[in-house]
Amino acid sequence: MSNSEIRMFIDGKECVGSRGDTILEVAKKNDVTSIPTLCWMKGLSSIGACRMCVVEPEGSGRMLTACTSPAEDGLRVNTSTENLVSYRRQVLELLFAGRNHFCMFCSQSGDCDLQTLAIEHGMDSVRYPFLYAPFENDTTDVRIQADHNRCILCQRCVRTCSEKVGTCTLGMKKRGWIMTIEADFGSTIGQSDTCVECGACAQVCPTGTITLRNLAYRGRRRDCDAVVDTICPICAMGCAIKVYVRTGSIVRVEGTNVNGPDGGQLCAEGRFALPYSSEQPRVVHPMVRTGSTFRTVSWGEAIDVIGSKLKEHRGSGKMGALISSLATDEELAVFSSFREAVGIRTANYNDGSLRGFYAGIKPFVDQGVCPFTAAHNILNADMIVLVEADPQKILPVAASYVRVAVLHRAARLIHVGSGATPFPGITDLEVKNLFDPKLTGMLKGAKKPVFLLGASVLSNPVAVTKALNFAIEHRAFFGDGLGIVPLLGHSNVLGAMNTIMSKEDWLGGEEQDFLYVYSTGMVPESSKALSAMSRSGFTVIQTPFLLPPISNLGDVLLPAPAWFERSGHLCTLEGERRQLSKILDPVRGLKGFGEVLQALCEKVGVKMGNPSTSPCENVFASKISPDLAKQVEVDEELERSTQPALAGRLPREA
Amino acid sequence: MAKPKVASVWLEACAGCHMSFLDMDERLLDLFSRVEITSTPISDIKEIPEVTVGVIEGGLGNEEELHVARDLREKCKILVAWGDCAVFGGINCMRNFIKPEDMLREAYTDTVSTVNPSGVIPHVDLPPLLPQAIPVDRAVKVDVYVPGCPPDADTIAWVFNEILEGRIPKVPSQMMRYD
Repeated sequence: MSNSEIRMFIDGKECVGSRGDTILEVAKKNDVTSIPTLCWMKGLSSIGACRMCVVEPEGSGRMLTACTSPAEDGLRVNTSTENLVSYRRQVLELLFAGRNHFCMFCSQSGDCDLQTLAIEHGMDSVRYPFLYAPFENDTTDVRIQADHNRCILCQRCVRTCSEKVGTCTLGMKKRGWIMTIEADFGSTIGQSDTCVECGACAQVCPTGTITLRNLAYRGRRRDCDAVVDTICPICAMGCAIKVYVRTGSIVRVEGTNVNGPDGGQLCAEGRFALPYSSEQPRVVHPMVRTGSTFRTVSWGEAIDVIGSKLKEHRGSGKMGALISSLATDEELAVFSSFREAVGIRTANYNDGSLRGFYAGIKPFVDQGVCPFTAAHNILNADMIVLVEADPQKILPVAASYVRVAVLHRAARLIHVGSGATPFPGITDLEVKNLFDPKLTGMLKGAKKPVFLLGASVLSNPVAVTKALNFAIEHRAFFGDGLGIVPLLGHSNVLGAMNTIMSKEDWLGGEEQDFLYVYSTGMVPESSKALSAMSRSGFTVIQTPFLLPPISNLGDVLLPAPAWFERSGHLCTLEGERRQLSKILDPVRGLKGFGEVLQALCEKVGVKMGNPSTSPCENVFASKISPDLAKQVEVDEELERSTQPALAGRLPREA
Repeated sequence: MAKPKVASVWLEACAGCHMSFLDMDERLLDLFSRVEITSTPISDIKEIPEVTVGVIEGGLGNEEELHVARDLREKCKILVAWGDCAVFGGINCMRNFIKPEDMLREAYTDTVSTVNPSGVIPHVDLPPLLPQAIPVDRAVKVDVYVPGCPPDADTIAWVFNEILEGRIPKVPSQMMRYD
């Protein structure tokens, strides 16, 4: 028996745990399921507020809350004595009597932990007088509603908001029966300055208190036809999600990585845009423009029209393709083969940032070191330097990492840039330039700094190289690479950089004779991309949703499978390739990207090579220990073009 | 031996529990062969006789309902509370956050859709409201609680069967619902 191992008995069953475990943790480790919980939640600190998890140590007559009481070697506890069951029912009755829980008109009835526990405990009546105290129903926010009449004060939302999202928007006010959850010290959720509308509070709420207004009454979890584990297809964080499907619609999306660094949170985009996406109008047939309208055609005719244009312009050097950087690795690989077969130039939505970033990191990649680290390593840094970076806008969950690192892990936060810090109140230092002596002075005391680079830095290769040099100078080394987190937005930017990024910046240059656009319809196209679409001689747009402006810009409009109809892999900034899974059956008559490209190749009479792509974790993995990375020389000539926040250099030691 | 008698009343509620009772379908025939149905909202016998089983659907919101509940309690051996309104107070309790007179004014004069130029609030010939709507067990002792909005027909049938077998049932978790 090792020193840290303890043995205790739960309902007579011998259970093994580690010193420091709570009784509940030992129970969970040993598959004991007889301890009910309500305020306790995996991944959050335990507060022992609800008293549902009480257990009785043998012979003592006391009750201990299993979620907060440490397990001891030799301890014997019972979990289901008559006394405990009656005590728990009493607690539940008091919860029902204290607030106004009317199950029959609650959107969460049937999806409610409080209701489930009450029924499990045989609560067929309430022996206490109902208080009927009026509580507020906070409907100030368009998306998140907080009906305090149904609150049991478990504080799961308060803890999630602080410990996982780091906004600390929610708190408690007053004491006793009239205590309520509040936002921003007496404000409401709608008027809160700090709330990021991520909806994590609603995901963890065990009752019908905090609910998502758009998603109410769309289906209880247990009434759903399917629950699919996949990842969010929007940004490069690639958060693990659970998608609930009912009658062909996505009715609810929840974060699942409860034990991981993000704690199962999602951002507002993932939480609200994903369920909405299955309700959007679709492109269901190929369509060809005739004058100012579109004519529905067969797939055969559409391929004929596109194929003849392809033949006509082949070799003209004025053929291009614009592929979403939200496309999967598999789709990008197949397009890369298509490009080689028919000879067209390819770009993706955020080519600008990517090309700059790629050129900037190249010298470090050549050294065999990964020039960036997994985004969750922000949590492991002791100093976070934002260089013209606002993670809340690009990668909202990374912004949560920044807040949590600062508030709960004592990391220091520095903002470098021309504007104000995106984290007012928790930023330790604001400077205009990375080489500011105040910053370099602070960095001397840092053991593990991490640098977050914003879009204006990423699009500039010199700035990227200088930031990497700076990171090496200040020993920003993590296990997987250098302490840099590039704020690249779209979900498969790394994959796009790996497969289809164009060498030269042709997009927005001269007009194209032929342009093929593959969109996932999940992010708005840039004005540069839209302008290229409208200016090209012949434009094919393959997109899942019939939404302007993009659906108006094609000469041929092809249906594409939506994110919930596709599967594949996305290279995330969390340092791994993650699997996107199919959720709904594709609408009838839909053809996948590869199928269309194959048909076009046959039409043109060329053979498409075998598509292949290596996983990004192999492409970018460090081959040497990151701390062996060496700084590289920056061309004096080019240095003049540096982004202002990186102008200057470190004083060289003689 | 004479069949045990059953009486039921429909107090402050929507009649959904009685509908759920009718949803017992062909099992009703079996029940009727075992009990004698007396005064109910369906059979339209006005006077509640002495019965073995009394059933209350609905909460108590006015003095008449309170009187009926007490009357039935006195006349029955086993009192069953059907549905969330009888058990917990239910939707009637939404009025408990305001005073009865304010509620009446809101309902009969202030609502935008109400046309009541002389501002008459019904009061004559109507039983006065209780200060708050209450569950049945705040006024009289209840022997069997059957929560649900409404309780399933299966649950209602099971409860009758248990009583006829001579037991005082307690609805098990797998049958219990609050919505």
